Amino acid sequence: MTGSLIILQPGHSVVTDLGRTRGPAYGLPVNGALDQYSAKAANILAGNEDNDPLLELTALDFRMRATTDVLIAVAGAPLDLTVGGRRCPEWEPVSVRAGEVVAVRGIRTGLRAYIAVHGSFTVPSLLGSCAPDTVVGFGLKLVEGFRLETRKTTAPVIQPYFGLPLFRLGLTRPVFTADPVIDVTEGPDVAEFGDTADLLFTTKYTVSPRSNHIGLRLGGALPERQLTAEVLSRGVPVGAIEVPSREELLVLHRGRGVTAGYPVLAVVTSHSLDILAQARPGHTITFRKTTVAEATAMHRASCLELGRLRNTIKTVFGLLGIGAGQRWYELSPASGA
Amino acid sequence: MTATTTMPTALDIYESGDAALRVVAQSGDAEANWATVHSLAGWLAAADVEGIHGAVPTYDSVLVEFDPYLLSARQVRAFVLLGMRQLDYTGTAMREPRLFEVPVVYGGDYGPDLDRVAGHQGLDVEDVIARHTAKTYVIRCLGAPAGSPMMDGPDFPVPVPRLKDPRLSVPAGAVSVAGRQAVIAPAVAPGGWCVIGQTPLTVLDAAREPLVPYVPGDELRFYRIPAEDFGNFAGQFLEARP
Repeated sequence: MTGSLIILQPGHSVVTDLGRTRGPAYGLPVNGALDQYSAKAANILAGNEDNDPLLELTALDFRMRATTDVLIAVAGAPLDLTVGGRRCPEWEPVSVRAGEVVAVRGIRTGLRAYIAVHGSFTVPSLLGSCAPDTVVGFGLKLVEGFRLETRKTTAPVIQPYFGLPLFRLGLTRPVFTADPVIDVTEGPDVAEFGDTADLLFTTKYTVSPRSNHIGLRLGGALPERQLTAEVLSRGVPVGAIEVPSREELLVLHRGRGVTAGYPVLAVVTSHSLDILAQARPGHTITFRKTTVAEATAMHRASCLELGRLRNTIKTVFGLLGIGAGQRWYELSPASGA
Repeated sequence: MTATTTMPTALDIYESGDAALRVVAQSGDAEANWATVHSLAGWLAAADVEGIHGAVPTYDSVLVEFDPYLLSARQVRAFVLLGMRQLDYTGTAMREPRLFEVPVVYGGDYGPDLDRVAGHQGLDVEDVIARHTAKTYVIRCLGAPAGSPMMDGPDFPVPVPRLKDPRLSVPAGAVSVAGRQAVIAPAVAPGGWCVIGQTPLTVLDAAREPLVPYVPGDELRFYRIPAEDFGNFAGQFLEARP
């Protein structure tokens, strides 16, 4: 059965997914969830595919009402989650009954949180993604009273024994802090900055309030390009660190224009881009040099962690009959039995 | 057996983080480099390998983006070199370019920087317009924001400096120049290029695929229309000449 979620207080929220990976070839930024780990975790915890559409909340409080029973999961920055007035945990599946209000308040330490709903939503897509693109003007605008169509209803899951926690999923939650260390690999144009490139690793940078999904602007001692020749426009990766002005360092994030004419000093690793997505204005950032091999290993380790969670959830939801018809599963006997 | 005398195309491949490589063509000839990176991007798109998201070719370089869970930078590098060897062997099939004709209202509110550009070039305004409309441009690549057609600029005496204070909002259809380049803005966006005119045609339509009607290699000409005619083109899309 389908139902809807009625947005009561949109705050700053969008419906997004893991991004428009086909976009850059057409000159469009990839966009999508800025903290990919938390977004994937929320979807997995809700029994969805990693790339299903979900809600991304940035900084502000948010409320919505479910018209049918649904199962949700919230992941990302620390916050206060209530469902029908009851306090509920983050990073766990949570049942919501028809008519209840889901409220997220007090997003803190980090900046962004994700709400996934089992079965996800019916939303328009562009080049295979529902992620908003502010330049093209694509994406759902969540305003007060907007009805988001959900695709599935999930009967409440109840723990009958004294309210003991229903799930013990053993997921490593990311650590959120006001002074994160961000791993970067050497950029292809690092030589153009000469000795000043080292300033990147010896300076504490402050996140400017002018930061957004396109890029973070950081104040602090700036490496300086030693050449003056014009740079031909080139494709720049998400995570590229540039010095476009004398005031700030620019770290490009998923909303970045795909080409630019500035030399790339360093590139933030996939793993650290998720941490940067949670940096609030005023937070202090320290950069640490790593290698592509190490960065890849780190990224794969966190993908494997999410893979384990996916398996656990599949087992648990299978036993609870979520995501399938209500029926009993006969477990196959252990080998040798 | 006949010995081949063709030299393999020289490429520099740089790591660009854990999820992208920058591949730079090093033939010493700008036109050949451009053809190389675009045919390489086409080859990668046609190969449709799981884990390679896509390629962003510009002038002498192509950014290859991939999923670092499925592929490593070393694997993607090897794959790019394989593609280059195949292209060296088979040659590059160039498609027939299409021609786009773009009406432009120059100067005034439509082109607030026209006088500034004329002054800097030491040309009068009419001469700037004449040079801008005289050339058949080749679309070199799709750039930011949103599929902008990047072209080599008109025949101006000196490069055009960018604005000291970039505008927070440049309208869709703005026709601009900077350095030795020319462009049309497909969508509203901030911009630091000198806007010399505006086309009334709609360049980008998010409801259609592809979003923009041209691809790199297509040709484009500008022609001048009076400001009174701007409204006559309302709602019309930029389309190739049949």
